[in-house]
Amino acid sequence: MLVLFPGLLIVNSTAQELNSYEITRLPFSSSGYNDISPVMYNDGLLFCSDRRLSGIMERTSFDGRRLYNIYFVQRRDSVEWNKPKEIRSERSELFNNGPLSIAPDGKTVYFTSEIETGGQSKNKKFRNRSGIFIADLNGFQITSIRPFKYNNPDYNIGQPSVSSDGKYLFFSSDMPGGYGGSDIYYCELINNEWSDPVNAGPMVNSTYIENYPYLHSGGRLYFTSDRPGGAGGLDVYYSEKNDREWGEPVRLPEPVNSASDDFALVAMPDLESGYFASNRQRNDDIYEFIITIIRKATCDTLQENTYCYEFIEENAVKYDTIPFRYEWRFGDGDTASGEIVQHCYAGPGSYLVQLDVVNLVTGEKSLNEKSERLVIQDIEQPFITSPDTAYTGQEIQFSADKTNLPGWQIAKYYWNFDDETAATGQNVKKTFTRPGEYNIQLIVSDKAGSGGKIKETCVSRNILIFNRP
Amino acid sequence: MKVNTAIFRILILSILSVTVLLSDASSQAVPGKDENIPFLVTFGKDGETSWGDDDFFSIFFFTIPKDFSGQFYIKVFDPDVGGENDELQGVWNSKTMFSVYGGKGVDPEKNIESRGLLPGVNYKTGNLLASRVFGDDARYDNKYYAFGPFNPSEGDFNEKWNSYIFKIVCEGISGDDGNLYRYFLSRDANSDLPLEGANAFTYKYTFRMWNDTKSISHIYPYIDTGIVSIKQKNFDWDDDGVILVVSTYKQGISVPVSGEDNWAESKIPVEQAEIGKSLDFQFHKKKESLVRNNNVVISLENQRGDALQFFSSPIGGVPVYQPVIGIRKVQKK
Repeated sequence: MLVLFPGLLIVNSTAQELNSYEITRLPFSSSGYNDISPVMYNDGLLFCSDRRLSGIMERTSFDGRRLYNIYFVQRRDSVEWNKPKEIRSERSELFNNGPLSIAPDGKTVYFTSEIETGGQSKNKKFRNRSGIFIADLNGFQITSIRPFKYNNPDYNIGQPSVSSDGKYLFFSSDMPGGYGGSDIYYCELINNEWSDPVNAGPMVNSTYIENYPYLHSGGRLYFTSDRPGGAGGLDVYYSEKNDREWGEPVRLPEPVNSASDDFALVAMPDLESGYFASNRQRNDDIYEFIITIIRKATCDTLQENTYCYEFIEENAVKYDTIPFRYEWRFGDGDTASGEIVQHCYAGPGSYLVQLDVVNLVTGEKSLNEKSERLVIQDIEQPFITSPDTAYTGQEIQFSADKTNLPGWQIAKYYWNFDDETAATGQNVKKTFTRPGEYNIQLIVSDKAGSGGKIKETCVSRNILIFNRP
Repeated sequence: MKVNTAIFRILILSILSVTVLLSDASSQAVPGKDENIPFLVTFGKDGETSWGDDDFFSIFFFTIPKDFSGQFYIKVFDPDVGGENDELQGVWNSKTMFSVYGGKGVDPEKNIESRGLLPGVNYKTGNLLASRVFGDDARYDNKYYAFGPFNPSEGDFNEKWNSYIFKIVCEGISGDDGNLYRYFLSRDANSDLPLEGANAFTYKYTFRMWNDTKSISHIYPYIDTGIVSIKQKNFDWDDDGVILVVSTYKQGISVPVSGEDNWAESKIPVEQAEIGKSLDFQFHKKKESLVRNNNVVISLENQRGDALQFFSSPIGGVPVYQPVIGIRKVQKK
């Protein structure tokens, strides 16, 4: 149980869905240029931008479009950021550079750029495909650039994302054989060589665009898609592996996704904050997100209120030559016979348990030879009433009505559904969209007592969600 | 069936281990009131063991508190062998000798021979203070004969109990009839005047069971410090009912019962909670059919083979079983 200093708490008797995310556009990303593809690096971000380097000079490609290059911006504190600085390479002047990914060694950089750099690339009619390039990152310089072995002038590959263990390289590509649009692919590092690309499969990919893959260290594969059913434009989704296959993608809720293009999400290891890009304010900008829902690191497991008891004549069970019969009266009208008996009461109460003993030698019966007062109370805890299992898409009810916290003036019931959604209220409804086991937390706080302190306690229980057959 | 607990006064002495010696007026009678045994039995030496006496003699010890300064008598009820109470085998031809011993050699804790449990060993130890042989004699039929008076200091002093010990031996010296008798310790030869703080005990009980199916007899062995188990041995029970061992800890353990002219024995665990108290051996007779004139023998020994004492007045009182209810929560089935 925690003791907190309160904010304003309001009793909600009905369910209230809570926004799970708070987003903030980063201050360095508010110009009229496009900033995309954030990558967490050291104490700041690497990102791509087509920003102008100086007030008078604009860097463009051969066809006149502003070039994207790689920048690093250092975080000064929780609010302020330093001015972005360009990461330069031999390609900076004439080609797009980025999006990118940093390998676990912190030095090897995988970035997107145009494949053809020869004279042909200067032909405005030439369609130069993008590919992945591998290089060394030395301070603000990218050096030793070498092409990814699967680059191909006939199609695009790019937006690389190296897994945190360095064993997988995810990327997007419109290479032949996909599901349509661009798809997410990955290569596995085997004997220090990247394997042939593997399509991430039909759960991740669709006939629409899938790009900007990002494999989180916790196993989630975040990606972007413009598939139907989204909030509009590109949306951010994630998928988790069930056994060996990627599961049904989950679209992140608003305000991460919006009617505009929202893409290229990366997250901290605890998933509670991260960055993404969005053009919801006309240009592509980088936003920071923070998950605002409360999830307790420690939360008591819900204990079921059981009213079943075993009654033992402790001494009798030690000997096997006891010519006695033990007859129990449980105080609720029920009886049983035996040295060890079990009885379930209907509910809490005060029960007088009486033991009558029949001497089988004499036939005499000693009434009420021993009695015990059994007081049954519900466990003092918040209580979650819900089904143990349900199907995806099925609306299920969660109730805290059986909460037993004597002396509490409960101000708030807060539910965390373990899928980055939350709600408040004594009775709430919830529909899970993906199968799995969810650890539901119910956090109950009481009204502020003297000194402004409030009590708070938490219980959790697991429920299983199955795909509807 | 619970027996009313008598009120006892407790004398506690401490020599090596704490020992408690208790008594009230009922303890002056042997068998004691709580024992509810009708008669002790000793057959003439020509009798048969199948009649319920395995050795044709019995020994009882009396403890007289040191602070008792008067004289006392050991009275024998119905000492003769004939007339009422006794068990006739053909014609009354038996003689029984009662002998009272005092002085050194009597105390069975100092002199194991005195207990009379070792085959072929002289148990008539101590100074013979009085002795008399009884045959078929109407003068003593269904009446008392009083040995004494004795002075307490004539006994063998036992520091542990702070008492003088006297011994009375009953021997079936001839014939084959059964002598059924009782003792009473009294300050007066002609009336029953108990000695405050006195008690009586034996190591081997040979007695007559009731001639009805409802009466329950008892013996009360004392569980001294260091006992972890006891072995009970009973003889010639004729499969007459059930023996239950009761304590504050045991509601009633059934132990094997002997048949005709044989022994049955079993081991009984002793719990820590039973130390310093008496056990209650209850003898429930067979209900289906009455076994008449059933004479039986019982003795106990601890795990080291040392015999246990049966006190006429149970030390610590008659043990009453205390049920213990355990309640624990379980998952619904």
